[in-house]
This record gives sequence, structure tokens and C-alpha cells, in this order.
Amino acid sequence: MNDIFNLAGKNQLGRRTFIERAAQLSLGVGVSGMLPTVVNAKAEKAGTGKAKSLIYIYLSGGMTHLDTFDPKDNSTVMGPSEAISTNVDGMRLGNHFTGLAKHADKLAVINSMTSTNGAHEVAQYMNRTGYSKRATIVHPTLGPFAEELLGKRGKILPDSVVVGQSTSNAGYLDPSRSPLPIADPTGGVPNSIIQTDEDRFERRMEMAQGLGKKFIDKYKYASAQSYVEYYKQANKLLKSDELDAFDISQEANAEKYGSGRLGQGCLLAKRLVENGVRVVEVVAGGWDMHIGIENAMQSRMPELDKALTALIEELDAKGLLESTLIAVNTDFGRTPTINMNTGRDHYPVAYSTLLAGGGTVGGQTYGSTDKMGKKVKSNPVEPADFIATIGYAMGIDLDEIIYSPTRRPFTFANKGKPVMKLVG
Amino acid sequence: MFWSVFLPVLLIFKTCLHMNSRYFGKIARSGLMVVLLTCVLSSLQARVWTSKDGKKLDAAFVTLDGDKVELRLNNGKTVKVPLDRLVKADAEAARRFNGVGDNSATKASARQIDGLLAKNLKKAGIKGFNEALPDDLFVRRVYLDIIGRIPTREEFMKFAENSRPDKREGLIDELLTHPGYSSHMFNYFADMFRLRGKIGEGGGKRAEPYINWWQDQLENNTPYNEIVNNMITATGNLGHNPASGFLLRDAGMEFDAFANFSQVFLGIDISCAQCHDHPFADWTQMDFYRMAAFFGNTQRIAGRGMMGGMMAKNGGNRTKELVAFAKKNGVPTDNPQRAYNFYRYLDFLGWDVEDRENLETQLPHDFRGSGGKPGAVVKPRTLLGGAAKKGGKTRREALADWMTSPDNPRFAMVIANRMWDRAFGKPLIGPVTDFEKDSVCGQPQVLAFVTSEMKRVNYDLREFMRILYNTRAYQGLASAEEPASTKAYLFAGPVLRRMKPEQAWDSLMLLASGPKIDEVKGRDGSFLMSVLNVDFENESIEDIFAKYQAWDTNFRRLGDVVVSEPGELQGSTPSVPKMGRIEMIRASEMAQPAPAASLLDTFGQSDRLVTDEHSVDGSVPQVLALMNGGVTERLTGGSSKVVQDLEVLDAPDDKVRGIFFTMLSRYPSADEMKLGMKMMEDFGDDGVSDLAWALMNSPEFLFVQ
Repeated sequence: MNDIFNLAGKNQLGRRTFIERAAQLSLGVGVSGMLPTVVNAKAEKAGTGKAKSLIYIYLSGGMTHLDTFDPKDNSTVMGPSEAISTNVDGMRLGNHFTGLAKHADKLAVINSMTSTNGAHEVAQYMNRTGYSKRATIVHPTLGPFAEELLGKRGKILPDSVVVGQSTSNAGYLDPSRSPLPIADPTGGVPNSIIQTDEDRFERRMEMAQGLGKKFIDKYKYASAQSYVEYYKQANKLLKSDELDAFDISQEANAEKYGSGRLGQGCLLAKRLVENGVRVVEVVAGGWDMHIGIENAMQSRMPELDKALTALIEELDAKGLLESTLIAVNTDFGRTPTINMNTGRDHYPVAYSTLLAGGGTVGGQTYGSTDKMGKKVKSNPVEPADFIATIGYAMGIDLDEIIYSPTRRPFTFANKGKPVMKLVG
Repeated sequence: MFWSVFLPVLLIFKTCLHMNSRYFGKIARSGLMVVLLTCVLSSLQARVWTSKDGKKLDAAFVTLDGDKVELRLNNGKTVKVPLDRLVKADAEAARRFNGVGDNSATKASARQIDGLLAKNLKKAGIKGFNEALPDDLFVRRVYLDIIGRIPTREEFMKFAENSRPDKREGLIDELLTHPGYSSHMFNYFADMFRLRGKIGEGGGKRAEPYINWWQDQLENNTPYNEIVNNMITATGNLGHNPASGFLLRDAGMEFDAFANFSQVFLGIDISCAQCHDHPFADWTQMDFYRMAAFFGNTQRIAGRGMMGGMMAKNGGNRTKELVAFAKKNGVPTDNPQRAYNFYRYLDFLGWDVEDRENLETQLPHDFRGSGGKPGAVVKPRTLLGGAAKKGGKTRREALADWMTSPDNPRFAMVIANRMWDRAFGKPLIGPVTDFEKDSVCGQPQVLAFVTSEMKRVNYDLREFMRILYNTRAYQGLASAEEPASTKAYLFAGPVLRRMKPEQAWDSLMLLASGPKIDEVKGRDGSFLMSVLNVDFENESIEDIFAKYQAWDTNFRRLGDVVVSEPGELQGSTPSVPKMGRIEMIRASEMAQPAPAASLLDTFGQSDRLVTDEHSVDGSVPQVLALMNGGVTERLTGGSSKVVQDLEVLDAPDDKVRGIFFTMLSRYPSADEMKLGMKMMEDFGDDGVSDLAWALMNSPEFLFVQ
């Protein structure tokens, strides 16, 4: 695909033209099944490349680090929480993580995350793209960027899916790289249920094609022609078994994941990864615990524990954990001081994230904070470094430059440094 | 009294309607154009006027005489009606009609554009303009281009049966004064200026006053240079001057905001030069900061928290007074969580734009360009030579003057080029946000001419669009071949365009709810404006506190938008018709932008983060929505809306024609007619709805030919 970008000189091709050119080559979600699948021409892959798929769990609101992955001995700091031991000597977790405690050997916990973004919007933008939010450009999220660099993988299924109530787009990349949004994990692909009986549907489709033919023959525009392909693909999708990839009602162990959006989202992510989808982002809220953190934790923590435990166990049992990277990220941490409303406020100075599977080295805690969880004491990791680590595990060349249509140069993770100790 | 003329007029009107509907059938059956003698509209601005007490009058607009509107009845008599007797929408319509006058200058200008275009076409060996649009394609095109939606079957028929030779220019004028004109124009500027309902850090502030302000400017057809001037120079908060929303939109991202400023007003993408000298163009990093320095002493969100800004005048004493007064009146001011609403109000009050002489733009710490050192103070200088004259004005006022002065060769050109792009689907020189002297332009004389026309019409965008729509070039078929990206396009006609996301949505809404969607207004920020409009220096503490109380009481209905929980606004006015959770209103009246994963989003609506960032590409989710989605189900499913609407037509062939008029605003070909008849024969009403479904899902539906 690089040739398109090289052609996209600002005096030769505008954005519109650029999109049109791109549309001729890659017709968007699903349509590339009609075309030869683009595979990265590079013989040597960068990074470990062990992670063939990524499940990116994004906890919006800001996950408290002290009550989850960075518990302390100081009871003033801990408030209602305490630490429990795990199946790895010396590795401790918050007391709600009883399931994960049995799999600590598979977890790479980072307790030295640090950033300067204390507001939700800018923090989420940074943590989902690796770039600061700007008013002049929109950066792609990890799925579209990985597809751009590694090539389109799926024939009918999209390469990236976003599960949950969340915006996501391909930014300055071709819109055909946009992740497929699934707002409700139990609802399947939106509008994928035919509203009439099959005969009538066939009749309608046939008629639409017949009636549209004159128009399509008359105008030789990529934009018009591409709709013919989209209809063919949509029709094919409606009748294909591939839609089953989105149907979690067929899962035997659904209840293991928990019935909430997060649990069901993780279940869908697992199912999609099994079906070859490269990147699934699961976005779940409820982590902005300004008020009554004890109550809030009692619902959110077991939910997260259950979902992650089930995900790890199922992927492991199917032999997919080695090739599937699970990453947990969040806006920022929360204040070590419990406020007057028994909650914790925003705290970007120090917080925690998690990696598991996909060739990451489990059973370790990377980096640390001081006794109060206030400051990073060793091995600070910034959001771009965390994303670079994910890219490295996925075999992405972190130096490869992609140009926006306005010819601004960008790289995956914005020159963040991968943490080698985590990815082996 | 005047209203006594209503009865006879109404009777005549009713008879006409009745005749029309029968007559339509005949015309459709024979396929002939017949002149309607009795009900021919005496002017194209004939319409039904409604008085405040619900009486209706079918009459044509003649002129506006002070606060009275002169109307011509069907019997030729004229009457004068005081504007305040009419419902608001009709009073506004009269004012709009008054804005469109004599069109001789318009047509002369259009002919000159055609002449210039034709000369270059000939030089390039192209024999002339594309074939002229037939009536049916013309009517669909102008409805979509001017009022942003397809015509109804009735509107289509009305035009088809009109035999006046000047009916095209008449329809253009009628549509330019239709409420849909400003709605559609709003979508364009909402994209260009990245209008969002939720602004501020984390989207915690509401921008409805600013959005409403934009809507008002377009409804009143405020000259574009005035709109821009007001946005650049606005001070105060959204209650004092809603145009301040322009600068508040990007508070905290001042340099990015300037990079945008340069793109949208000057057509120069200078964003590279924010960090280093521009690699391809002449702009240096120093140029960037010199120009940005026009905003150097402008402070946005001065009032974060309770300090600074207008609230800090008198050393913040007024703020302290207000807090003390609130405490006395039961607001738990010592507990920020419990007094959340109070502090949120204070924060919003002080969220404003101000000029402060002691502020200066400084070069960034990593400045690497020449002409200055990191941290050095930069004085303002324009990008294009020609210093902005200060003469006792603020920097922003000086900048605004320079922007629209003859010294600035770009301002008029950029907006003229953009409006050309709107009409023809391709700019004369592109991209519109970043073009240079050596950028490809096939019609440089036309670019120069429309630039001078933009100035001649004093930035009256409606008049400018009227010129373009009256050109022969515009009124030709879309070019059959996609223009090559490397070659200059010579505009033998417009290019084929997929509907903009908002055009697609508004057209579907029209099919679902009829033309009443043009009248439904969405979010109203006037309440929000009224409680934010506080004179912090002179107003009594009691009065200010009363405004807070109004805010607090109405917190759940801010700006007529239902608030579901603190910081989160959802839904809209209870009066808005809904289908499930979807508001059945025009895109310009919905939340800006529409929520993620909504149909508008699926059709490619911009998320309003960067300029002009909508998409007109297809996708599988998009066609799935058209095939199986809720709106389609309503139109063509069980109790099909489209089938119900055809009940007035009896004969099967009328129904088939009717479906084509409704969905595609054109006559069916002989083959299409045959297919339709067969569908009706075999499947009855089901066949009709199948046909409607098929037309909606033939790519033709989504394109502007």
C-alpha cells in the first residue's frame, strides 16, 4: 500500500483523490476478499511477532492502581482494599482478583506507568493511539495501524473490531481500515438480520442489481462501482457462516466470563480471535470512581477478574494464548489519598497496566512505585512505550514511516520504546 | 378584517388540490406535460401562510414593506399582512424571500462564468458543456444541493407540470429561501468549523449557544466576512457572545487552532511549520508563530475554577461574594462534590475569551527555526505581507480587518473556491485547505472571476450560490468519467457525487416523515445563554445567584436537552418525533455530531475533530443498514410507509411511476415500467414495497447525478 502514500503528494493528489485511489485497491470491510490479500512484503518481521492477535481491553474512567495491580502494605493508602498472594512468589494483587491470582505466572504487570494526561478525553486518545490529541489530525487506533503495516488478513471478516460504546476510526488512514463497531456484544453485526423471508429477499436483491445497472454502466467512478462490491459482499456475509464469529450465543462457557458488557465483550473478542480477527478492542466504562470506591470496586473488580480469568483459561486451553496478546489499559490511575467522598480522583503520575499471552513473559511485575503508590520509583513506562511493546510483540516495524495524505510522517506508537523485559 | 378573505381562497385552494391529484394521475398515465391553468402559481414563492391563530392562506410573496408582508392571492389581488400576525416560521420566510430580488445581475454573472469556462474547454478540444440536465434530474439535483434532501413526490410533480420557461431559475430561488437551505448550509460549516455540542475538557461544556448562533447566521444570510469577523473578535463567554465558541472550541490547543485557522480562512496548511520550517512550501517556523501571535494576548478559559478572567476583576471579590451568598442560601460550598452544580456553573461562567495586554506569544522551548530563540517573544505579522494596521484596535480586530481587506488575496478566493466545490463536487483549485500558486487549476480565469464576484456580492453566500446554480455548466449532466487526479478538470459539468452523510440521512427522514421535517427545530441553547449572560461587575449578587438557581433547577433540561446525569446530556426535546431511540429530525437539528455507530456516522458524518473530515465512501455496515436497518423496515417493511403514501394513486402504472418519483425523482424507463407492473401483478402491495426497497438499494439512490 505504500505506493499510494508516495503518490499522495499534496500538489498531485488531494485527500478526496487519495481516498478514491485507495478505494480502488482496498474496498473496505470485507471487500478485500475480492482482491488478493495484501501481505507485508518484508521478509524479516520486526519484533517478536509472536502475538498474531491482540485483545485490547480498555477500562475507561481510570482504573485504580492501588486496589488492583499495585497493592501496598499501608492501610491508609489501601482504604478498604488489601493485598493477596498469588501462584508466583512475591507477586501480589488486590483482594478482588482471586481468579487472576491463580494465573499470575501468565501475567506481566506494569506498575510504573506514568503520563501527564489527567483528563479523560486526552488520556483515552493517547492510550488508544499513542499520540497526543490534536486539532489538525486524527490518528488511527491500533487495529487500523496494524492492518496498514502488516497487511489485510481477513477475507470476509474485518481485521479489527471495536466492542462497546465507543468511537473508533482509521484516522488519516484509508476509511476502509476502520474497525467494525459492535456496540452490543450480544447483538452480533448490526443490521445482519434479513427482514423478509429468503425468497423475497432474493427477489429484492436481484431487482436492485437490475435497476442499478444502467446507472453503474453510465458512470465510471470508483465510488459508484465500489457500492456494487459492497452489496455483493454484504449479501455474501449475510449468508455466510462467517457471521457466526459474532454470535456468542453459541459459546459453551459464556457464564464463566460474567454477564456484563465487559465479560461478554471479552467472550466475543475470544471468539473473533479464534476466527482470525487480528485486533479486537473491548471498551468498558465504570472506572471513574470519585465517590464510594468500595462499592464501585465490588461490582467492577470481580467483573474484570472473571472476564480476564476466563479469557486466559479458554485461550490457554485452546493453545491460543501464545499467539494472542491480552493488554489491559486505562486512562490513568487514581489518587493514593481517599477523598472526602470515600472515592479516589484522577492520577496520571503513577498507574498500572497489564499484558498476558502473545509471547509476553508472565509471572513478573515490571517497574514499581513508592510505598504510597504516589511516584514511580523504577523503570517508568509512558503510554507510547506501552503501545510500542504491543507493536513489538505483534511483529510491527516501529520505525516504518506512514505518511498522512497531507504528507506528515507517522510511526506506530510515535517512537515509544518497547519494554524488552516484558516481551522476551 | 383581512382574514375574511380566507374562506373563498381556501375553497379555491382545496378545489385545486383535488383537481391536481386527479390530474396528476392523468398526466402520469399519458406521460404528457400539460399546463395547469387554474392553479398555476403566480410566483414561485407561492406557499401556504399560517397565522398565529391557525388560519391558512395560499398566496405568493410580493415584497416586504416595513413590518408588513405583501402577498398576492390566487385571484390576483394583493394584501398586506403584519408580520407579527404570522407564525414565526412564516414571518422568517417573508424576511428570507425579501433577500432574493432581481436576478438580472445574477444571470449576467452566470453567463460570464460560462463564457470563461467554455473558452478553456474549447482550447482543450472539448466541444462544450455536458448535455443539459433533463427536468427530472434537475429537480433532484437542486433539491439535494440547495436544501439537502431529495424532493417529495408532490414537489417533483409540481415542477414537472410547471410550464413556465423560467421555472428552473424560479425553483432555484424558491429553494434558496427554503428553511432547508440554511439547514444544509449549516452542515457544511459544521464540518468546516468542527462544531460539536460537547466541548471543553472532556466534553464537559455545552456549545448549543454557539451552534444556534451559526444557525442564525445562515438563516439570516449574514455575509460571510461578517460571520468570520465576529468569530475572530468575540469576547466574553457563550452567554455574552455565542460567537466566542469559535475560540473556545480549541481552548488549550491554541497553536493547533491557529493551524486550523490558516487552513480554513487562507487555504494554507501551515501545520508543519508549527514544529519546523515547512518541508515543501516557503513557510518558516517563524512565520507560523508571527501569525499565531495575533492571538498572543488572547486568553481563553480564563475563568477555570473560580479565578481569572472577568471573575477576577476586583481581585476576585465578586466571586468570593457569590460563594458567601450561596453558602448563606444553603449551597454546601465547602464540599465541592455536593456543591458540584454550583461550581460547574461558576466554571462555565468564567469560560470565556479575553484580551490581556500582558500576555505574549513566545517561541516554543524546542524552536529550531531562524529569526528567534526559544522562549523569545514574537510580535504579530501576517503571512502574506501587508501588515495588519492596529490603530487603537486589539490584535484580533486588526487581524479580522486584514483578513477581509483587499491586501489579503486569499480570503475571498478560499470561500469562493469552497462554494464552487459545494456546487460542482470539485474545487477549482485544491485541496481547499491547502493550495498554492503552482497547484493544478484548469480554469484560473474562473477562479479569479468568482473571487472578484464573492467580493462584489459582499460575501452574500446565498447570492453567490445563486450565481453558480444558474450557470449552464452547473445545469449539465454530471461528467460520466471520473476526472483523472493528475490532470486539471475543466468543468464541462459537475462531477458525480455520493450524497453527503447528512443528505442521505435527511432524504431518508423525508421518506419516513414527509416535508414536515424541514420545520422541526432541535436543540435550543437560549436558556443556557440566559443564565450565562452575567454582568459580573454590575449585576447584584442576588440576581447572579438567581441565575445559578435557574441553572440548578433546569439542570436536567439545559438548552432543552435532557440531562440524564451530571455532566452527561442525552436525548433532546420531548417534542421531537422518534423511532425507537432515533430522533426523526434533520441532521442539522440533531446532536452535533450524531452519536457513534448511528446511521449518520455509518454514512460517514465527520466526528468534527478536524476540518472537512466527512467521508462519502461506502462500507459493508452502511449497505447492511440500508438493506436491513430500522429506517428501511419502516419504509418498506410490514406496514410500509412508502406503500401507504401511494394510496392516493389508483392505477397500477401510476403507483409504479409514483414509486420512482418518490425514491429517485425521475420517470421510469420502459423496461423499468414493465418490471414494476409485473411486480404489482405478482405480489400486489408487497411488490410495490419490494420495488421501493430495490430502488433504495440500487446505488443510484445515494448519488447526485
